[in-house]
Amino acid sequence: MGNHQASVAVSAPRPFLSHATRETIANYMYLLPAALCLGGTVLVPILRAIHMSLYYNVLIKPQEYRFIGLGNYVRMVHDPVFWLSLKNSFVWVFAAVSLQFVFGFAVALVLNAKFRGRAVFRTINLLPWIIPGVVVALIWEYIYQPNYGPLNDILRRIGLMREPVAWLSELNLAMPAVIFTNIWRGIPFFTIMILAGLQAIPDDVYEAATVDGAAVLQRFWHITLPMLRPIIVVSTATRIIWTFNYADLIFVMTSGGPANATQITSTYTLMQAYSDLDWGYAAALSVILLLIMLVFTTCYLKVSKGVESVAG
Amino acid sequence: MGGPLMWTGLIIATLFAMGPFFWVLLASVKTRVELYAAPITYIPTHPTFQNYVDAWTSKLTPFSTFFANSLWVSSVTMVATIVISTLAGYALARFRFVGKNTLMLVFLATQMFPAVLLIAPLLSQWNALGLIDTYQALIYSNFSMTVPFTVWMLVGYFESIPRELEESAMIDGSGRFGAMLRIIVPLAAPGIAATAIFAFVSSWSELLFATTFTSRTDMRTLSAGLLYMVGQYEIQWGQLGAGVIISTVPVAILFIFLQKHLIQGLTAGALKG
Repeated sequence: MGNHQASVAVSAPRPFLSHATRETIANYMYLLPAALCLGGTVLVPILRAIHMSLYYNVLIKPQEYRFIGLGNYVRMVHDPVFWLSLKNSFVWVFAAVSLQFVFGFAVALVLNAKFRGRAVFRTINLLPWIIPGVVVALIWEYIYQPNYGPLNDILRRIGLMREPVAWLSELNLAMPAVIFTNIWRGIPFFTIMILAGLQAIPDDVYEAATVDGAAVLQRFWHITLPMLRPIIVVSTATRIIWTFNYADLIFVMTSGGPANATQITSTYTLMQAYSDLDWGYAAALSVILLLIMLVFTTCYLKVSKGVESVAG
Repeated sequence: MGGPLMWTGLIIATLFAMGPFFWVLLASVKTRVELYAAPITYIPTHPTFQNYVDAWTSKLTPFSTFFANSLWVSSVTMVATIVISTLAGYALARFRFVGKNTLMLVFLATQMFPAVLLIAPLLSQWNALGLIDTYQALIYSNFSMTVPFTVWMLVGYFESIPRELEESAMIDGSGRFGAMLRIIVPLAAPGIAATAIFAFVSSWSELLFATTFTSRTDMRTLSAGLLYMVGQYEIQWGQLGAGVIISTVPVAILFIFLQKHLIQGLTAGALKG
């Protein structure tokens, strides 16, 4: 790289920044777009939410906008719907994730076998996961429709039902109904994860066990499950966090009703912002959600690190 | 493991997965008479595409407009996400940064942040900036969903590509950026493809931002349009069915052709732990 030096012995001006500094700045430029995104769409909004939560901020009452400190949080402590939503969230997460896991595992075991046309069956079984959430919600809303939906029709034809049941309007049936829809939607997630884990287990491990006289159940318990442990932990933890926050299904199917029977904390936050237009209270709920998230995430990181160190 | 038990399980699982979808597919080609007949019919005797025409050209719920909006927002989100996360992923994989581990943790943690958490402040933010009923509000909001995950995924991908490749290119006189573009990016194509699909499908399916940040019918995406349709008076199940199929077919086709990449990307991250 020849640079012509002037024959006059004037020393070239020192660059303002050293080469190393310029390179560092260039490196940071690669990060800049992502940092702007994260900053502008996640971090700044979170800070803003914390700020908003300290104000009385109802969109349709702009004249009453004022600083109220922890007022929104005090209201939350005394809000029976808030506590109900926490309980509902727990039921929602526990029932949906555990059953998704069980059935997803079963389907993965079936799909793990080698047979012709396996790819087609695999694709079909994964479709519920790829369908937009609002579409899943509407499909199942139709299925649950008391007069025109197939569920009641089938139950009536096989004699299990006499009067049409309005699944999404019944106090005790709404939550099981939306949970069932969530299970339908979530099974493919576990199917994919467990299948990947199953296919990572080398065949000779099983062969050696069979030679040693191990029966199917013993092979499953002592080989399959332990080797799947890391992926089971990771996928279950991820799914728990995700399901806790998942508002789309309930928002579309029941809006948290009837009478808050299906109101989970994330949908309650959404309804406060979108429907009640109480932005201050919604922000406070968001902050609480954030705290719950941070606790979950910390536990998850500890657990997955622990699993990693055991798995080696 | 094989035999009748497995096949029974397979058939049940597949019917369970496909059944609801088929129900709506059949409903979308039924006439009004058949949709509301009692007892309900399953196989339509006079299938018709009228519902699709009605949905596509409807003045109240124009699916042609919704489709165009979804396509635009999802495409722009996808392209922008790829650019942003390829740059960031490459940098995090190759360069040394102060506090790099913290940065990685931030990307991991923000993946878990739900839209619900961000709705209230983002609504206030976009309202103040005059971005309600714009494509920008949806695209920027979608980044909160796509960028953390895709950066996380691509860091792993880039780390698995040996440094020597671009280093030899740089010795030959190419700049760092040029080496990245010409050598590393083509090698990372499967990973980048997976993130592209993820970004597109996530944006296509996105509901909360699309509903909250738009008020005009002509700015709604398919998700928001479907929800809007249900909010009007009595549900037109035929048109709704048609709308559902219109909303689902593109991503279903995308998924069927590209599922290998998506699944690989997803599980590679999880298996690594």
